Amino acid sequence: MNLKATIGMETHVELDTESKMFCSCEVIESEEPNISVCPTCLGLPGALPVPNKTAIEYIVMLSLGTNCNITNEGMFHRKNYFYPDLPKNYQISQFDFPVGINGSLEIVLDEELHSVEIERVHMEEDTGKSVHEGSGRIDSAISTLLDFNRSGIPLVEVVTKPVISTSKMAVAYIEELRQLVIELGISKGKLEKGNLRFDANISVADENSNELGTKVEIKNMNSLKSLEKAIDYEIMRQSKQVEKGESVIQETRHWDENKQVTISMRTKEGSADYRYFSDPDLPNMIIDQEFIKNSKKKIQNLPTDKRKTLKESGLSLSDSNYLDKGEKWLYDLYLSTVENTKDSKSTFNFLTGELQGQMRKAEIDKLPEWVDSEKLANLINLFETNEVSFTSAKDILAKLLGEDIDPKSYASEKNLIQSSDDEEIRALVTSVVKDNQDIVERLEDPDDKLVGFLVGQVMKSSEIKVNPGTVKEVLLKELFG
Amino acid sequence: MSENFNIDDVSNLASIELSEDEKAKLQKDLQIILEHVEALKNVDIKDEKIDIHPLSKVLELRKDESKESLKHEDAMMNSPETKDGHFVVPPSIE
Ligand SMILES: [Zn+2]
Repeated sequence: MNLKATIGMETHVELDTESKMFCSCEVIESEEPNISVCPTCLGLPGALPVPNKTAIEYIVMLSLGTNCNITNEGMFHRKNYFYPDLPKNYQISQFDFPVGINGSLEIVLDEELHSVEIERVHMEEDTGKSVHEGSGRIDSAISTLLDFNRSGIPLVEVVTKPVISTSKMAVAYIEELRQLVIELGISKGKLEKGNLRFDANISVADENSNELGTKVEIKNMNSLKSLEKAIDYEIMRQSKQVEKGESVIQETRHWDENKQVTISMRTKEGSADYRYFSDPDLPNMIIDQEFIKNSKKKIQNLPTDKRKTLKESGLSLSDSNYLDKGEKWLYDLYLSTVENTKDSKSTFNFLTGELQGQMRKAEIDKLPEWVDSEKLANLINLFETNEVSFTSAKDILAKLLGEDIDPKSYASEKNLIQSSDDEEIRALVTSVVKDNQDIVERLEDPDDKLVGFLVGQVMKSSEIKVNPGTVKEVLLKELFG
Repeated sequence: MSENFNIDDVSNLASIELSEDEKAKLQKDLQIILEHVEALKNVDIKDEKIDIHPLSKVLELRKDESKESLKHEDAMMNSPETKDGHFVVPPSIE
């Protein structure tokens, strides 16, 4: 029996607003606990929630960016459960009328485009943070410490349909979603800061079956690396069970980063037990055409648009995707540089390989102010037209990163320019051939190793740099006609 | 009465411990509420406009501006136990 895996992703995106979702407390990044809290986000009795307009704009932008239909009359529900980081004992969320439904997100896998169907995009609020105090092992904690600075920060949950089939595809999806929220300017999109948090629903079934297998939810994956590993592990675990004829238990498991396995969380509550009901504090939310139009106006450059521009410059899909997902300055630098160079691929290679590599080595994360696209284009053109060798180009770049030089003048000054002047080279070749008659006589064909030796002799005999390609060409013509 | 709901499930979900006497009393009360709901199901609303929310008011949105929050000391004031600026509660692990 051949098995196939089916994966659905649930991603929480923390929005980058000034104030929280339902109160005016500032959204802060601070280690100091409980300094941006009020009766609303502490869940004190009698406090009333008032939604943040910008957060609603942002979720509409994200819904549009994922090609969703917008629900014009939506509402908020209470999701009821007990946990100390949720002091109201319910989370304000959305249930059957989410802001966005039935969308799709285009992702890139190597040289192929795929579309991931989106089921829903809904608004909710974040919880507080708990720290378990004790011996370090959570099962022997002696008390729990609570910080509500995060409580009430606007969160958008994006849920895909079960349409993802591999861990690689899941990673590409998260990368795309992350780039989308950054491009939209609605979230900082930093995984390490928890701006994006994701769970995966995974099931395994016979590839010929139309039905999905039993779904297992995986939580606690903090990086793309752990997402990939957790999915691969879980597919393997479930496949083994199915192959042995055992049934997979529907449950929630968490990824243990140290042990590199998924572990059952033995959760008590099923999904039907949240007792969702419409929040009586919050009347229906009308998102009319005017509101949608205004939100749309704020959308500028989507990742798909960026990839299109990059592809039009002559890059492959995967190279375009690389620049689209990379830092903004590199994307901008590439586009302005390639305007003045002849070859997009070698421009891409030079900037992403040589330039980024040297910057890493020199431990600089920003280009010096004097390094602009014009100088880089000049430099790329110097080796593209064989005026300097690639080795010299690398040296010139290293110099350029340290001080303000003009690549071309520097190359002439340091005698790095290779001559491709045929006349000049022919004279050199003639003289070398004359001086090495013994070797010339031993030559049998143009592929003879001795040709290389003669090219070397020509290079050596010249006071200026000559282009070895041209030398070889002239030499072969001289010797073999 | 179409369904007999389980008072133990409900008290468990609500995290409220009930004595046998309380269970018996609440079982009866809640059963009556369910009967009311059952009666509502018989009303013909085929041609009615659906009012999903009890209020006919439309949600007002607030401008995204932060304002001063509670002072830290005031926020912690009613807590029986605090530590390093945190609220302290009994160990709770998901
Ligand atoms: Zn607040």
